[in-house]
Amino acid sequence: MKKHLLLISCIVLLITSTGSSQNSDFIPLFNGRDLTNWVLAAPEGFEVVLGELITRSHGPGTDIFTAKSYGNFILRLEFLLSEVGNSGVFIWRNPSIQGNGFEVQLLAPWTPWRPDLYCTGSLYGHVAVTNRPDETPGIWHSMEIICDRKLVTVSVNGEVTTIADIDTVETLAGKPYTGLIGLQGNHGRKGQYAKFRNIYIRDLDAEPDYIIKGFYDKNDQRRKLAQIAAVNMGAKMVQPLAGMLSEENPAAYSGAKQALFDIAAKASDPECPENIKKEVNAEVIKSIMNASSDAEINYLRWLSGLITE
Amino acid sequence: MNPDSKIGRRKFIRKTSLGIIGLPFLTSTSWKVAPSDKIRVAHIGLGGMGIQHMKWFSQFDDVETVALCDVDQLRLAEAYKQLSSPGMDAKADTFTDFRYIIDRKDIDVITCATPDHWHALIAIMAFSSGKDVYGEKPLSLFVEEGNRMKKALDHNGSVFQLGTQIHAGENYHRVAEIIQSGILGKIHTVRLWKTGGSPGLGFPLNQACPETLDWNMWLGPAPYSDYNPARCHLNYRYFFDYSGGVFADFWCHIADIMYMSINPDGLYSIDSRGDIPKDGIADTPEWIDVDFRYRDLDVFWTTIPPPVPGADKMHIGAHFEGEKGTLTCDYATKIINTGNESLSDIPEIPQTLPRSPGHQRNFLDAVKNRTQPESNMEYSRKMTLPMHLALISFRLKRKLKWDSQAEQFTGDPAANYLLSRMYRSPWTLPTI
Repeated sequence: MKKHLLLISCIVLLITSTGSSQNSDFIPLFNGRDLTNWVLAAPEGFEVVLGELITRSHGPGTDIFTAKSYGNFILRLEFLLSEVGNSGVFIWRNPSIQGNGFEVQLLAPWTPWRPDLYCTGSLYGHVAVTNRPDETPGIWHSMEIICDRKLVTVSVNGEVTTIADIDTVETLAGKPYTGLIGLQGNHGRKGQYAKFRNIYIRDLDAEPDYIIKGFYDKNDQRRKLAQIAAVNMGAKMVQPLAGMLSEENPAAYSGAKQALFDIAAKASDPECPENIKKEVNAEVIKSIMNASSDAEINYLRWLSGLITE
Repeated sequence: MNPDSKIGRRKFIRKTSLGIIGLPFLTSTSWKVAPSDKIRVAHIGLGGMGIQHMKWFSQFDDVETVALCDVDQLRLAEAYKQLSSPGMDAKADTFTDFRYIIDRKDIDVITCATPDHWHALIAIMAFSSGKDVYGEKPLSLFVEEGNRMKKALDHNGSVFQLGTQIHAGENYHRVAEIIQSGILGKIHTVRLWKTGGSPGLGFPLNQACPETLDWNMWLGPAPYSDYNPARCHLNYRYFFDYSGGVFADFWCHIADIMYMSINPDGLYSIDSRGDIPKDGIADTPEWIDVDFRYRDLDVFWTTIPPPVPGADKMHIGAHFEGEKGTLTCDYATKIINTGNESLSDIPEIPQTLPRSPGHQRNFLDAVKNRTQPESNMEYSRKMTLPMHLALISFRLKRKLKWDSQAEQFTGDPAANYLLSRMYRSPWTLPTI
């Protein structure tokens, strides 16, 4: 099983890791100047200094979170810990709900010795590293976290440390597969710190091909997330979804049908800008021309009517 | 007057009942009622509810069950078997296409227990052929269909009863009486609920339709879909193409007591929240909460009971909040709260409402007397309307404004678009 996962992971990495962080699919999550895209849990928690995001206080509740939720993504960042530093990267977090999401641990080696379930690169308390990374404090390390539906892969300094099949992690069962990304404030003593820089994200839920694959996922929650991602994308998803109306897979077919309705319903809102209405409708019309049955044509025409009425 | 209309035929029969024309009606086994006073009934749609119709109606001496119809030959055969077995002991013609029944001049009444997407068309065709209709809830699948049904009924002088049989019970009549007595003061808030929602139904593959089922006819005016047993018998209610889920189903029963008691007017705002199941192909609400604003009244629908005493024990219920007290009820019970007391009745309040002789009897009497029964067309249309509007708000995921005079949404053409839907060819919704 582990070998199988490693293989999948390698394929994923081959697909996704060919570019650098400056790859056009990656966008900076931290602009190096201010806290745009971020929300502080406590006012004093973090400070931006010369392109670095630095912890400024200590204790619980000093974390920082993205303003937006992310489900499937590739996150790349660099971190540096002080001696005995302790921080982490939160994934799928909802700060108002205890226990949602998980923390990819960032830890300087300190006494007592931390086991693999709690060291840098582990899904803290949920999944141990299988390949323990260098944890030397005072130097910059790079980290990549890939959330690819049920597969979470963590790499430190270019080497995979942890592969988790979320469906097999009992302690994460039933938790949402989406939420905020966060950086843990200084979790250690006063004077200890963590620094972050070059934080980039590739939001896989903004990529039509990736979203479509989610409609075939066996997990109900993840299929729902793919639907939500599709509706958020809007016009760009209409043709790929319409192509699924002749799909035999009932989950994919009914999901696509619903997502198309929801896109049209959103575009039909009196408050939806006229250009978006037109864009969505144009895609529906194009889909009608490519439709493969009367039932599909009638459905798409009905949706077009909803938008243009 | 339509020359084929029931009134015409009945008058004709009365005049000639001692003559030879009466003979075809002598097949009845009951002689307590003169054959000319027999109401000849056909049942369309013979699932569980249709069989129930057959049983209910056949027990009346003045009813003769003359025809049965279902697009599923197995269901039709089962209904026929039951009808001809001891107890009902009757014979009827059987059809898989309801249009044979519409064309029959010797049928007075049809009952309709098809899926919702057939309700309007069958009723309108029945009215136009001079028949009266006892039709299952909901009244129709679309608001516009209800309007057309009303027009067809008025045009043909027909009689219609919605199959909300709880309406006829003692409890609803007594609740309405108590509220109308004014003892609770003016009602400013009503809370309605029904626990549970549409199941997901899983992800079964489409398959070849059994030869015993006319799937194309089952679909009728609804959008085409390949056959899937999960979309058909028993489950059709969980698809917007054919119905509106548990909410549409039970709204008709429990909103009934609100309309019966206070008949609210001036609905102007509808705001639904909810979600559809994730674990299957069904697309109707797994849960739905709705805020309705009427002139001088707030109505809240929830999928869990509201936090009021006694509600947690009721799977379905209505809670009336007045200036001087509250009343919480379900189909068969009620809790009245005025001040410190919790009562099951207030005997001092006189009986002011005439009691129903039973929902089917009430309808049959109306058919004979050419009056309108308790759950008549206009009452049913008004009572079921907010349910349709709530589902449109649910589907569009936005709050909607309603003009209750024009019966149109305000400032939202897409919402108005969903008040109707073009029928699948060759079916059309008749214009009167």
